[in-house]
Amino acid sequence: MELKLMLVDDEVRFLETTQKLLSRKGYHAETASSGREALNKLQTQDIHVAILDVKMPDMDGVETLREIKRRFPLVEVIMLTGHATVESAVEGLKSGAFDYVTKPCDIDDLLVKAQSAFEKRKKLEEKIRIAQSRAYMKSPREILKQFGES
Amino acid sequence: MEQNRYGALRRRILASMILVPALPFLIVAGVGYTYFMASLQESTLSRLVRIMEDHKHMIESFLHERQSDLRFVADSYPYETLIQRGTLRSVFEDLSRKSTAFTDIGIFDQHGLHVAYHGPYKLAGKDYKDEAWFKSVMEAGVYISDVFLGYRGTPHFIIAVVKETEGTPWVIRATIDTSLFSGVVETVRIGKTGEAYIINAEGRFQTQRRSGGALMESDPEALVYGRPPRVVRTFTADDVSGKPYLYAFTGLKNNQWMLVVRQEKSEAFEDLWHSSIIVMLVAVAGGILIVSIAFYTTNRIVTRIRRTDSEKKELGQQLVFAGRLAEIGEMSAGFAHEINNPLQIIRAEESLIETILDDLQEQGALKESEDLAQIRDSLRQVHIQVDRCGEITQGLLKFARQKESCRQPVDLHVFLPEVVGLVKRKAGVEGVSLSLDVPDGLADVQADPAQLQQVLVNLLNNALYALAEKHGSSGGELALEAKSTSNGKVLLSVRDNGSGISKEHMEKIFTPFFTTKPVGKGTGLGLSICYGIISKMGGTMEVSSEQGKGTTFTIVMNAA
Repeated sequence: MELKLMLVDDEVRFLETTQKLLSRKGYHAETASSGREALNKLQTQDIHVAILDVKMPDMDGVETLREIKRRFPLVEVIMLTGHATVESAVEGLKSGAFDYVTKPCDIDDLLVKAQSAFEKRKKLEEKIRIAQSRAYMKSPREILKQFGES
Repeated sequence: MEQNRYGALRRRILASMILVPALPFLIVAGVGYTYFMASLQESTLSRLVRIMEDHKHMIESFLHERQSDLRFVADSYPYETLIQRGTLRSVFEDLSRKSTAFTDIGIFDQHGLHVAYHGPYKLAGKDYKDEAWFKSVMEAGVYISDVFLGYRGTPHFIIAVVKETEGTPWVIRATIDTSLFSGVVETVRIGKTGEAYIINAEGRFQTQRRSGGALMESDPEALVYGRPPRVVRTFTADDVSGKPYLYAFTGLKNNQWMLVVRQEKSEAFEDLWHSSIIVMLVAVAGGILIVSIAFYTTNRIVTRIRRTDSEKKELGQQLVFAGRLAEIGEMSAGFAHEINNPLQIIRAEESLIETILDDLQEQGALKESEDLAQIRDSLRQVHIQVDRCGEITQGLLKFARQKESCRQPVDLHVFLPEVVGLVKRKAGVEGVSLSLDVPDGLADVQADPAQLQQVLVNLLNNALYALAEKHGSSGGELALEAKSTSNGKVLLSVRDNGSGISKEHMEKIFTPFFTTKPVGKGTGLGLSICYGIISKMGGTMEVSSEQGKGTTFTIVMNAA
């Protein structure tokens, strides 16, 4: 499984450059220039880790984070913050963010954190798979049930 | 301007402080004085009147008694018996036993012939028909003469009484030595100048006057008395020499005589003067007391007001200063945050360029060359400068928004030696003697130990820098002290004997980016961050400095 990132920031040039940079380093990254766009993209695409700028117009980072966690609990989020918003980064952590990075940050630092978030995500998915397969082994009917439902 | 304001305030307070007590005081003193003086004057006059009445009574009863004596003789003895030789003598002896005032006694028939006489002179047989006194006594039935000296040279007067026997009137006459009552009158003494005397209707002295005025002389002041009153009258008048006198006088002997009692006004009212002087002294003392209390109190009030004003002003300045710092904090927070975004983009662009260069080199499209090395060097510089900008913005944000400090009681006996330990080596290297003074029993302070340590280390490092600048490698002294303040707080001071801070620098010392260090040596954020940290922990931080002598930073923290 390959790490799929999404960058969310209102600075478009940052998105573009970082996207190019990441693709050169061999990562695929989606971009979104607002919280809403990010949520829309999450609906249609399978994203593992989202990097969220805390300070954005309209819907700010923490708000977006809460919405992501509510609707896509498996998506790991890393907050990108100026120091002034460390408080909101803390708030973000309390709301379920995986970690935070202060601006200006090195892309490599960001990637390290993204990787560990991805590891967490993978472990979690693993656990879910194991839990599900246990359930199937206990009662294969569950599978039928699931199929029936869908 | 300022002085004028306090001057006017002072004058207003002083005026009311003096007027409010002085007005009732003066009224009380004035009313009291008036009544007191009136009653004293009254008593002075009544003393005069009392003496007057006593003497009047005495003289009148003396005259009346002598008159009664004669009347008694006339009634007791028949005319015939009296004119017999020897009878008058025994009568005189009887009278003399009763009163020594009688000097002689005589009997006159209706024609004024002196038919019998007993006395030291040979007057028997003389004819008094045409004498004024004889005519008067025949008319009035009784006659008392004025005082005269006569042949005898002693003051005397006569009393004559008419008696009728079987339609024929006859007269009994006696001469009275006045020394008895005039002595009493003359010796009246009231103080030094008080005296009493008698004058007759013509204003001639009937008794001697002590202050001058022999018997029978005219009283030079007689005119001023006017007609003798029946009751006692008092008045003041100047005598011939112009001295004011207090007079009391009354009529005697059917107003034929006047008894005068007089005293120099200055003496009569001496008590009055004494009292008024005492009253004046009391008033003056009271006035002085009121004025000095007013001055004292006013001074205290004005001083208090002035101090309060200056405290208020100082507090206002501190508030303005703190407010300015807070404003700067807000501004720099916004500024730092806005700068962070472009920095982030620059950082990303720089990373991209580097990655592209790496890729190109890997693909062999770029050969290792000097230009390439320069590009890489430039990129490294971009990286370094972005980092530097990042540090600045981080510092600004630290100053502006302190993390919530987690306060806990900090034992300075343990804490301060640790802090000193952190800079000991550096101080040793720079030749600075570093001292620490924490008194026993000092209370713990309420502080975030990490933040407090940051502040103290920052201050100590600043001091070391200043000391190195002034003293080079020896002679620097740096003292960290802790002590309790009078209001239960704990004071920490960092004192150095460095070059001090100039006045214009003092005002800006806690302002972000203010630094005297050369460019690149310091951001100018250290002290402003310290200030922010201490404020956040509920403490205060101040600086005092004397140029050339050294600087002291003072931190006051709440005790735990």
